[in-house]
Amino acid sequence: MIVKDVVCPFCGCLCDDIEVEVEGNRVVSVGNACELGTTKLAGEKRMKNPILRDGNEWKDITYDEAIRYAADMLLSAERPLLYGWSGTHGEAQCVGVHMAELVRGVIDNTSSVCHGPSILAIQEVGHPGCTLGVVKNRADLVIYWGSNPIDAHPRHLSRYTRYADGFFLENAFRDRKVVVVDIRRTETANIADEFVQIKPGGDYAVLSALRAIVRGKTETIPRTVAGVTREQLVRVVDLCKEAKFGAVYFGLGLTMTQGKYKNIRNAIELVSELNRHTKFTISAMRGHYNVYGSNEVNTWMTGYPFGIDFSRGIAFYNPGETTAVDILARKECDAALIVGSDPAAHFPRRCLEHLADIPVVQLDPYPNATTAFCNVQIPVAVTGIDAEGTAYRMDGVPIRTRKVLSTDYPSDAEVLSRMYALMQEGREG
Amino acid sequence: MKVTLAMKPTNTSFIPIEAESIVPKNFLLGTDLSVWRGNRELNLDEVFSVSVEGEADRPEDIEVVILGEDTFRLKRVGEYMDGGKITVLGDIGMHCGNFMSGGTIEIHGNADGWLGREMAGGTILCRGDAANYCASGYRGGRKGMTGGTVEVFGRAGHFLAENISGGAVTVHGDAGDMAGAEMRDGTLIVHGDCSRPAANMKGGSCYVYGTAHAMLPTFKKIGTVRHEGRTLIHFTGDIANRGKGNLFVKDYRYLD
Amino acid sequence: MSELLIKNACVIDPLRGINAETMDIAILDGKIVEDVSGAAEVIDARGALTLPGGIDSHTHICGTKVNFGRYMSPEDMRAGRTPRRGPMHSTSGYSVPTTYGNSYRYSAMGYTTLLEGAMAPLEARHTHEEFTYTPLQDTMANALFDGNWGILEAIRDGDTKRVAAIIAWTLRAVKGFAVKLTNPGGTEAWQWGKNVSCIRDPVPYFEVTPAEIIRSVVEANELLHLPHSVHLHCNNLGTPGNYTCTLGSLGLIPDLNPKRQTLYATHVQFHAYGGSGWKDFCSKSEPIARLVNMRPQIVIDMGQVMFGRTTTMTADGPMEFNLYRLHHDKWSNHDVELETGSGIIPVIYRRKNLVNSIMWAIGLELALLTKNPWQCLLTTDNPNGAPFVRYPEIIALLMSKRYRDAEFATIHPDTGSRVPLPAIERELDWYEIAVMTRAGQAKALGIQDLGKGHLGPGAEADVAIYPIRIDEVDPSVDYQKVIEAFGRTEYTIKRGRVVSRRGDCLVDGSNATFWVRPKVSDDYDMGKDPDFIEKFDRYYTVRMRNYPVQEEYLNRNRCIETEAEI
Repeated sequence: MIVKDVVCPFCGCLCDDIEVEVEGNRVVSVGNACELGTTKLAGEKRMKNPILRDGNEWKDITYDEAIRYAADMLLSAERPLLYGWSGTHGEAQCVGVHMAELVRGVIDNTSSVCHGPSILAIQEVGHPGCTLGVVKNRADLVIYWGSNPIDAHPRHLSRYTRYADGFFLENAFRDRKVVVVDIRRTETANIADEFVQIKPGGDYAVLSALRAIVRGKTETIPRTVAGVTREQLVRVVDLCKEAKFGAVYFGLGLTMTQGKYKNIRNAIELVSELNRHTKFTISAMRGHYNVYGSNEVNTWMTGYPFGIDFSRGIAFYNPGETTAVDILARKECDAALIVGSDPAAHFPRRCLEHLADIPVVQLDPYPNATTAFCNVQIPVAVTGIDAEGTAYRMDGVPIRTRKVLSTDYPSDAEVLSRMYALMQEGREG
Repeated sequence: MKVTLAMKPTNTSFIPIEAESIVPKNFLLGTDLSVWRGNRELNLDEVFSVSVEGEADRPEDIEVVILGEDTFRLKRVGEYMDGGKITVLGDIGMHCGNFMSGGTIEIHGNADGWLGREMAGGTILCRGDAANYCASGYRGGRKGMTGGTVEVFGRAGHFLAENISGGAVTVHGDAGDMAGAEMRDGTLIVHGDCSRPAANMKGGSCYVYGTAHAMLPTFKKIGTVRHEGRTLIHFTGDIANRGKGNLFVKDYRYLD
Repeated sequence: MSELLIKNACVIDPLRGINAETMDIAILDGKIVEDVSGAAEVIDARGALTLPGGIDSHTHICGTKVNFGRYMSPEDMRAGRTPRRGPMHSTSGYSVPTTYGNSYRYSAMGYTTLLEGAMAPLEARHTHEEFTYTPLQDTMANALFDGNWGILEAIRDGDTKRVAAIIAWTLRAVKGFAVKLTNPGGTEAWQWGKNVSCIRDPVPYFEVTPAEIIRSVVEANELLHLPHSVHLHCNNLGTPGNYTCTLGSLGLIPDLNPKRQTLYATHVQFHAYGGSGWKDFCSKSEPIARLVNMRPQIVIDMGQVMFGRTTTMTADGPMEFNLYRLHHDKWSNHDVELETGSGIIPVIYRRKNLVNSIMWAIGLELALLTKNPWQCLLTTDNPNGAPFVRYPEIIALLMSKRYRDAEFATIHPDTGSRVPLPAIERELDWYEIAVMTRAGQAKALGIQDLGKGHLGPGAEADVAIYPIRIDEVDPSVDYQKVIEAFGRTEYTIKRGRVVSRRGDCLVDGSNATFWVRPKVSDDYDMGKDPDFIEKFDRYYTVRMRNYPVQEEYLNRNRCIETEAEI
């Protein structure tokens, strides 16, 4: 049986034109998806049952036992951390917020190691953006800054930019120019019309220079800025001003380089400045398929997009203090619930040392790096395969992921709801 | 009146203690105050051995002395302080002296992040190093420090005095990256080196008596000036931001 | 079976012509009935003013751009935080509260029904998700059509029926309630960085004018027999001299509907400006009110500005960009493919600022100069003019000349030469206020037949009991009491349950979403139209099958089916 218009639960592109062939309650082939999506949708080797660490061994336990373990763990902690969230559906994220609020712990999502800086920048200067279809239909100039979509968002170019047909562009490939800015010549740079190579750490300086040139103050700029010649800077500004519609997409190359959110802020301020001359937008290349969703859910429920500390009853937000990496590195939490992410694969060693010392429960369909740090792992259905729910695309458009087959695995939302109910009883009792 | 808070040693966790109740004014009513460890409320005397000498009927006449090995875990000490003195005989945790409008805080050791955040008045002295966001604002880019004085005798971390709109900040050692970012007004002095000072500056005066590394290309050199016995190069900017601030550096290097 | 009896309520129920009669209100299983048994729970209102639950006909509370406003403003979010307490979840936010914050604060003020002013169809799912977390009020959304490509092309082709068909398909798909036009044509032009300057200015590429869009969409709306009329945010919002554009827009509207207005023009304060620039900026509330007085087919709402900080957020992208150029504050923009746009920027309205003082006066003037209170409803375009928690102060200003004068003395001294407000003596009475805050909204939205906005038998038992005895208070003198009373009910009752008591919310809430499903013939079913389908899948970046808002998002809902004429 072929299921069409399936939503891919991998990256922030959230492609929803995937075709999945299901047979014998298994995914046997995937069409239209990139390699990353295909691997995810065809995923194998799921964990069979909840497991409990017993000395050096794993013991199979029931869902009830596992859920109770987690509930008790969170209720007795003084500073529990609820982390992850970007790899699950919105309905589960909402329960997570209620849980953190009930136990007065900290809830954080993977933004804090990814596009958190982008959010901080937006909080300083706003976000002049648009949905992906606006770019597809209008943009005659696309700038990828610190982002290598061929690698990390393979269909971004074909669905939304370089190769995508647009209403106002007869021939997308011919009528659209692509500029790539990076510290090294990436694969995406090879298909660009203009490649700007910046010395590592120099993005901020280049962005400041571009802003000054847009304002007409070229003469103050030195002859080179972070390895980029003034000529090339002027050329880029001219390209921008001549465009009818320019779109900037940036990735971790900008968020993770020194200065982090200041780099993004500068890029946003450049785009706001360009809007005085022509139409320009800027957006983040969000990594996980529903990390933006966890930002949206956290925001409408608590007021803040990530890193929320409920210890004092009210929501307190201070990235650098209330974010998971910092809390773990400073050993500030005494229990952790991980949902829809794999921190052990990404976090610095110092964090993992503390993670090893505290009780940890993880909800994940697969054994992963974090499994080694868990006391309990609860396998759940995979959103987009055997669980459905809302996900928010990198541009904020919400799409409901679909179920292509049914299994006995409960969804994240189901497991968390049961956990939350137990916790409410525990608090009242 | 002198209130001495000696932190009792803890053997276990590093869960921070939020101690915004430790403000001289609050001791006018006694020592029955609460602090928080994570989501747990504790009495002051569960965390500290408390002793009081003398009397006072105004905050100005109260000194609070904090000591102990674990004082680096104490957050929000001196928050909203408007008079009196707090002395920390050691390190102090994050958010010390936030929103302060009067009085003096003296830290003998190092201060963790956000020392004197959004300060409006008063004096903070840190004899050791200050971590990131010393004398800065809060998320959202509104005005940061608007008044008062912060002096760090050691080094400062990144984003020193971010969003400063008034008051004076002095660091005797080096500062980190982006000192004085988004500066609007006020005075920032770094005796040592720093990198990318006064990024996106709108106004105010920033002095670097050492070397400004990764100097931003959008500052316009005006000339040299003599300032307190030093010869400094005078820039104005940040041109990228229509800024009309003043940046004075002894020496500078561009990224390339 | 649950029974509730409210005794000794001093009821004002304008939809039934009841003006300050003391009576009992009987409620059975969430509806108003004639009587209940002796086993009923009893609330003694003790003569307090009792009104149908408040209805806000234009507020920005749920959806993409509202959440943008929260997300980008941590300094606003920290300004109004409350902890979890009993059934109340923690809340944050001052001008853009979290969804629970909105719900609890509106409930404390007696509001039980809210209309979200602007929802982009592509992102409707987000609005519906937030509706779920605004649990103490029934909700409904205006779907935006101002930049809709299918509609612009249909208008260009002169095909009003196709316009109606697209609206019908979209409202059904995204579970929308009504048709919204925000800066019609302007939001499409803005996707090229341009705007339209008046209603005759054609939209780039599509070559239709705002006037044509407004006329065609109004006609289409009536072909679909929708409960609410077209809801219009006129072109040129905020521009000095824009009143001519407003008069032109309102002048386009025929009288097509016997039960209600044919056009609802929203936050008209922002569209009632005279002068040619900021220096000679002045109020043109008088010609606007004059026109409204002469045309029963128009209903407006105030869009009152109050001094202080707030956040502006509208679908009017170019207008928000202009505010950015003026104030240089943090600015967000979000254009939505094939549909519409939005912009968000924080503002401060200052008494010392002459333009802001004039704006403040204009909103009040519109309400005082519009003779019929059913034609001018009370809003601030929350949060654009001010957060909704300021409504009680607006009520007091409308009821008390003395309060107006006292406030007038604190604003910019030159205001008096630019506005007619000081000369206006009229003071609204309790009945008129009841009309402007609920009965008028119910009528304008077309929901009085669904049991909203009145307390007659069969109505939804949405009741607000305010701690004030109107026979003991002279509102023109005791305006402080008016402010306190309308700021916090003794009881807010929703579907027969006490949901809020003196500011504390008592239950989790289970609201209903109202939406429309116009039934069209197969010929006009866009779901089967090859051209519509082809263009959809080519130019949108979401598949047509994934676009509609699924049933799962609706919870309890009231679907209003209409028989369209196509």
